Amino acid sequence: MTQTFIVEVIIENKPAARDPEGETIHKDLILKGGYENVKSVRTGKYLKFLVEAEDEKHAEKIVFDLCNALRIYNPVVHTHKILVKGG
Amino acid sequence: MVKNKPIPVKVNLTPKEIRMVRKLLGREPTYVEWGMFDIMWSEHCSYKSSKPILKKLPTSSPKVLVGPGYDSGIVDVGDGMAVAFKVESHNHPSAIEPYNGAATGIGGIVRDILATGARPILLIDPLRFGKLETGRTKWLFRYVVKGIGDYGNCIGVPTVAGEVEFDESFETNCLVNVACYGLVRKDKIFLARFDKPGDILVLIGGATGRDGIHGVTFASKTISEESEEDRPAVQIGDPFTKKLLIEAVLEVLETGYVDGVKDLGGGGLTCTTSEMAAKGGTGVEIILDNLHVREEGMNPYELMLSESQERMLLAVNPEGLSKVLGVLEKYEIPYSIIGKVTDSGKLIVKFKDEIVASIPPKYLAEAPTIKRKAKKPLNLEKLWRIKKPKEPKNFSEILYKLVSTPNIACKEWVYQQYDHEVGVRTILKPGDSDAAVLRIIETGKAIAVKADCNSRHSYLDPFNGGAGALAEASRNVVCVGAEPLAYTDCCNFGNPEKPEVFWQFKRGVEGLAYMSRKLRIPCVGGNVSFYNEDSESKIAVKPSLVVVILGLIENLDGLVTAAHDCSKGGLAIALALMAIKGKLGVKVDLSKIPTSKPIRMDELLFSESHSRIILTTSTKENAKQILKIANKKGAPANLVGKVTDDDNFTLTFDGRKIVECSVTQMERFWKETIPKALEVR
Repeated sequence: MTQTFIVEVIIENKPAARDPEGETIHKDLILKGGYENVKSVRTGKYLKFLVEAEDEKHAEKIVFDLCNALRIYNPVVHTHKILVKGG
Repeated sequence: MVKNKPIPVKVNLTPKEIRMVRKLLGREPTYVEWGMFDIMWSEHCSYKSSKPILKKLPTSSPKVLVGPGYDSGIVDVGDGMAVAFKVESHNHPSAIEPYNGAATGIGGIVRDILATGARPILLIDPLRFGKLETGRTKWLFRYVVKGIGDYGNCIGVPTVAGEVEFDESFETNCLVNVACYGLVRKDKIFLARFDKPGDILVLIGGATGRDGIHGVTFASKTISEESEEDRPAVQIGDPFTKKLLIEAVLEVLETGYVDGVKDLGGGGLTCTTSEMAAKGGTGVEIILDNLHVREEGMNPYELMLSESQERMLLAVNPEGLSKVLGVLEKYEIPYSIIGKVTDSGKLIVKFKDEIVASIPPKYLAEAPTIKRKAKKPLNLEKLWRIKKPKEPKNFSEILYKLVSTPNIACKEWVYQQYDHEVGVRTILKPGDSDAAVLRIIETGKAIAVKADCNSRHSYLDPFNGGAGALAEASRNVVCVGAEPLAYTDCCNFGNPEKPEVFWQFKRGVEGLAYMSRKLRIPCVGGNVSFYNEDSESKIAVKPSLVVVILGLIENLDGLVTAAHDCSKGGLAIALALMAIKGKLGVKVDLSKIPTSKPIRMDELLFSESHSRIILTTSTKENAKQILKIANKKGAPANLVGKVTDDDNFTLTFDGRKIVECSVTQMERFWKETIPKALEVR
């Protein structure tokens, strides 16, 4: 029996790598807007998949494999997080 | 005997070099000093293998203002103006992260031009990839082009020319070369050196982070599986900050208070400070605690070796410091005052009130050269004696096939992603002609620019490949009416520790030097990228000695309506491309083509012999005059055919039809190849 799962993928630049977009938002929008208590902003990419699979593990694997095969992220510069939500 | 203590950090120096470092300093270096020697004596920073060979290139002419040894070559283009230009490779970063690798390659070269005081006015990108068949190559090709387009377009510098070659030897190691040209008034040229003790050092631009530490030692190794996992973080391009940096630097230099300027690239702060002090015969004192940083807790080793992007170093006259800082603040460019130029003759680095390094700059900047062994590859003789294939029958079919091969096919998919007109100087764009032409608005003259290399020629015959690259590049600028003034070269080779690879390099440069002397076109700079080799397959890239040329057009009129040189695919392809671009037919009698001896039909059509140009002109009288001029100069020339107002591409030999193709059909094949391979449109 297959079920439909929601699989979320969050892709960010590696912690040691820069994020010019986040830096700009932080410097030009947030700090200039007076939110001094915000210490940094990082941007990323968020993808939400609806996947038919036997179980959560399988759903995660399908998405993990396709992200690698299609180079949706590049492990050299990006980190990725995969979250599976129930069917 | 006292044993040496183990070095506290990993260094890539040879045992002999390690002994030399100890002997030079007369003591055990600190770990920071080990790092500094490691990076400065790497192949990438020191050119230790290539320097003795590169000396063979002629480097001067009355027009050369600054030759090799500085970041960019600078050439006089008349009326008080000069052009600074430079080429660099960004092969290794692009092979693992094509988008940011290519983008930051442009970032680096633009900073080099900026450091001469010139405003960057154009970019050229010679690219080489594996066969356009594998997923990996398509991924690299797509994102390298996108990286160049996005970055170049954002900083407002047009990408006006380039070349793309596909060959299986570039499968893991794609070659991404980037060239930038800038315009500067002759009396406003800056040199990257510290001349005046007492000048204040201001580090401007991006904050220093841990990114790219040991990027250059990485570029001095081959790409391995290990580097997949354990490689340094690739730089992320930041074009909008770069645009601000360009404007801020040009304005800061206008103040008259800056005595020296250089960008921070490979080798980071270590390379910039040691080279500038070595050139000026001065010393430097740096206080690392003052650097603006992106990460907490960085140690002096990391601070001295970091290759964070978008940074430049200024040596500022103390009297004008507040004025200079005012300009930086206006553009919101971060900066820090990191030290001063001294007359100590030493590069002294302090951190937390402690001296962590103290080295005479020239020890770092002048690495010992290595005499590499060169040996002709064994298989070459065999390749030279390869049997000619049987002469084919249907030449029309072959022509259709040739225009569809990726190496000859239309590269519109590439250059349509680049803004080639921003800056309003561009007269001839990519695809228009053999070279790009840009106006020097300030003087009413124009410059012609182009990059060329034929890696297959170089593979089979490095000497003639190197010579041919310059011959082709100069032909290309001549075809748009320019006189070639100078060139810079980008050498892309495999592992120089292999005698066969080093032989290719040596012969390539010798060929280039030969052509350079014969044509009297000097070399004003260059870049060498070694270790372009897959560590698993042991396949090195085909030797690729890319020539990037500068030509000057004094007068934009002429007798000629169109000119095209014969290169890849020879005469037949040159004619076909002229027909396709003009959307007109061609009728040529091949028996009229000047040949040195009778040759086979396939050779007549497709030989890639150098130094041949096809010209068209509007009247018979003009044609006669052209022949007269050619005759006077001793250049073989003949009237071979005419342009027709139809769709027929017809080549005959003494009345016998050899090729009969439709121009629109050829155009369709020529245009569809690359979009088809990439599954776009």
